[in-house]
Amino acid sequence: MAIKELHKQLSAKEKGAVELTKRYLDRIEKYDKGINSYITVSAEKAIKDAELAQNRIFSGDSGLLTGIPLSIKDNICTLGTRTTCASKMLEDFVPVYNATVVEKLKNSGAVMLGKTNMDEFAMGGSSQTSYFGGVKNPYDLTRVAGGSSGGAAASVAAALCVAALGSDTGGSVRQPAAFCGVTGLKPTYGAVSRYGLIAFASSLDQIGVCGMTAEDCAIILAVICGEDKNDATSSDKAKGNYTELIGMSLKGKKIGIPKEFFGEGVSDEVKTAVMNGAEVYKDAGCELIEVSMPSLKYAVSAYYLISSAEAASNLSRFDGIKYGHRANGETYDDIIKKTRSEGFGDEVKRRIMLGNYALSSGYYDAYYNNANRIRTKIIEEYASIFEKCDVILTPTAPTGAYKIGQQEKDPVRMYLSDICTVTVNIAGLPAISTPCGYDKDGMPIGMSIVGKAFDEANIIAFCDVYEKTFCRKMPKERNSVQ
Amino acid sequence: MKYIPVIGLEIHAELLTKSKVFCGCANEFGGEENTRVCPVCSGMPGTLPVVNQGAVELAAKAGFALGCTVNNYSAFDRKNYFYPDLPKAYQITQFQYPICSDGIVRVCGKDIRINRIHIEEDAGKLIHDDAEGISMADYNRCGVPLIEIVTEPDFRCVEEVQAFVEEIARRLKYADVCDARMEQGSLRVDVNISIMPENTKEFGTRAEIKNLNSVRAIGRAIEYEITRQTNILEHGGRVTQETRRFNDRSGETASLRSKEEAHDYRYFPEPDIPPVFISEERLDRIKAEMPEMPNVRFERYTNEYGLLEDEARLIVEDKAFSDFYDETVGIYPAYKETSNLMLVELNRCLNDSNGKMSEIKFTPQMLAELVSMSDKRIVTKNAARDILAIMFETGSNPESIARENNLVMSTDTDELERIVEQVIAQNADGVESYKNGNEKIIGFLMGQIIRILGKSADMKKAKEILLEKIK
Repeated sequence: MAIKELHKQLSAKEKGAVELTKRYLDRIEKYDKGINSYITVSAEKAIKDAELAQNRIFSGDSGLLTGIPLSIKDNICTLGTRTTCASKMLEDFVPVYNATVVEKLKNSGAVMLGKTNMDEFAMGGSSQTSYFGGVKNPYDLTRVAGGSSGGAAASVAAALCVAALGSDTGGSVRQPAAFCGVTGLKPTYGAVSRYGLIAFASSLDQIGVCGMTAEDCAIILAVICGEDKNDATSSDKAKGNYTELIGMSLKGKKIGIPKEFFGEGVSDEVKTAVMNGAEVYKDAGCELIEVSMPSLKYAVSAYYLISSAEAASNLSRFDGIKYGHRANGETYDDIIKKTRSEGFGDEVKRRIMLGNYALSSGYYDAYYNNANRIRTKIIEEYASIFEKCDVILTPTAPTGAYKIGQQEKDPVRMYLSDICTVTVNIAGLPAISTPCGYDKDGMPIGMSIVGKAFDEANIIAFCDVYEKTFCRKMPKERNSVQ
Repeated sequence: MKYIPVIGLEIHAELLTKSKVFCGCANEFGGEENTRVCPVCSGMPGTLPVVNQGAVELAAKAGFALGCTVNNYSAFDRKNYFYPDLPKAYQITQFQYPICSDGIVRVCGKDIRINRIHIEEDAGKLIHDDAEGISMADYNRCGVPLIEIVTEPDFRCVEEVQAFVEEIARRLKYADVCDARMEQGSLRVDVNISIMPENTKEFGTRAEIKNLNSVRAIGRAIEYEITRQTNILEHGGRVTQETRRFNDRSGETASLRSKEEAHDYRYFPEPDIPPVFISEERLDRIKAEMPEMPNVRFERYTNEYGLLEDEARLIVEDKAFSDFYDETVGIYPAYKETSNLMLVELNRCLNDSNGKMSEIKFTPQMLAELVSMSDKRIVTKNAARDILAIMFETGSNPESIARENNLVMSTDTDELERIVEQVIAQNADGVESYKNGNEKIIGFLMGQIIRILGKSADMKKAKEILLEKIK
């Protein structure tokens, strides 16, 4: 049920907030053993949150999110509730502060059900690198949920929460949303404070939302966005009503379709589904324009160099001295080596090594600097496309969800599958993914609408138009939550 | 063979901001361990640095104070290395785009070039308990704002280095950028030193001596290094590039790590902090807040006011002292007399009472009045000193002090003549001795006159009368 509808029922006292939260907790209890979308379920806290929300509803001091049960990705710090990044390194780490987004959700009266599973430190596209076991796709438990916000997307798809906060560094909200058949919004870089998001790649990370609809995502974004004095990269341009353009006419609007996004490696089923989506816009009066992004072929390399370089630095603080896993050792060097060897999984180690290599003296120019030159090129190419178009339409992922164990063991193949999403992060733009079809295995296919910086209201309105025409097939676990 | 040392400096100065450079914790010295820490400066996961604009402005002031260009654009970078006193495992610093560049400071008649000044954060401290065999980390100092001043290798002797460090410390104090307390570590100096044979142009291999915390230690460390490196070269050896530590007790330097063991810091632009833009208007405003620097004052005192270099140097040493002097002579321009009174009598009062310029009870206006009274011969120079001492004690104005203590110079010539005659009568031997050519006896006779008249005596007049009468 959409957030607006739930809000109406809560306000009309047709439904109690505590009762609603308990129903979700029951569903988690019942269905999440198979899906593994949560690392920590904070049931007691959730019920307390719900009681407070109910009081606010009674006193007439409620907003759209008051009493709405949400899940939070486990790389977003929650005061008093452990935040693991799905890593052994932070298995028992309990933050001493709330992330800005968590504080904002709390002030809005939202209920936090728990912390969702993910790829370790958000590094991956399958949610299989979690120390707490992989996330399974609610459509087919033998398939991946995507990643790194696999728990967030799966928890929404299986109705184990109303909506979820995730994080998106190279597609980590949009791709799992596509794999799990829900809507995923990655806001403009700077639209949402990163304070309290445990950093993977600081210049690319952005907190995003998984929801059942573009409108649900918009409602949550409106609460969590805005300039934050604790995040110097947050922007005062992000404010306002992200649902205000919903219902606008698309007549005469221009949609750019970059041909490189439909190249080799992208499955025919995906191409067809996305182009069918484009047809819907054409019917709504939009003009489809073929555009080009010649630098796309370098994007994945640039993305992995920049993100790994930043990650290598960001993850250096995990040395066993102040918090997190601590191995026994005689000297500092000994402690830190053992701690990091034991605490990090293989994919995290791989990226730390790659990142340190790219930054090391003698290689910096060849790798890190060249990656940044490509970054500049991609930003310029987006800018020139947006001179001609209102939005850009691309596939979200080259395929639908694949079988667990099918390709996660092949890092290069895994990295290449990020081709459709990484440029958005490289350029800091907003994008939203919505289901636009199902493959032969019945797995959802997603398409992404990319907008200009801080143009979220526009892409949300575009997405909403499509969602109102598209008939979704939900997974069987998703019994309606009345 | 004779060798010439080639020396360059890296000076770390803690900025006098109220809070740390990237968080709201207080920027103070001392106190109980780990009491000035928060999630940001202790490197908790998920936290982000936000630049303290106060630190940016103080760094800009340091630039103006040291004759640098203050850049409109500067940016932060990460310097990555593991150490337990560095909670994020990287130090945020300015590598590629420092806030200030290309300065010049003149000492010992020579221009020393400053390559750059950049902003960075300090690290914490490790406390070693050898008895327990453990080390503990104190993060109070983590995130304390620093500037690093990097010079070109322009020094050729210890004296130049020491004069430079003293000059830098003075200017930073003048600009209220840093309190420059070397013993507390708020100003720390790294010395890069090599030696080269006389008449060559090519520099030798350098050693870096870390963290020297007094001007004396700087001198001793350099002397030791010159001897050490000379010995190596004299014996046909090669100086190795390395980082060394100075032991204050032994007066020796010892290797800390070689070039091979040096870290690869993997610098890259700090993605959490947008570049710092300072507009021309803001730079103008900051510049307008700058006080006149001690070197400029020194020139004014010696060239325009006719003070001796030593006097001028003593006055500019402390800004509050120099400010007081300037205000006083601004009201009554008796440069020499004011300088004498302040350097002798006021300094004595300050020393005796352990007092501070900021706590002085009288105003420059009052001192100017006193100087004018002395200058107009309303009080004698001796009386002026006594009056100043009472002003220091009580804060009363000089005129009433002079009146209450009978220190106003007597203008009664009859009285003066009577007393001179009395002294002559009582000291016939002395007068006789004078007539026989012992001119020194005049001092003794004058002493007798002052004893009777007190400090209000017009000494000049009394001497005239005395000489007249015993001629």
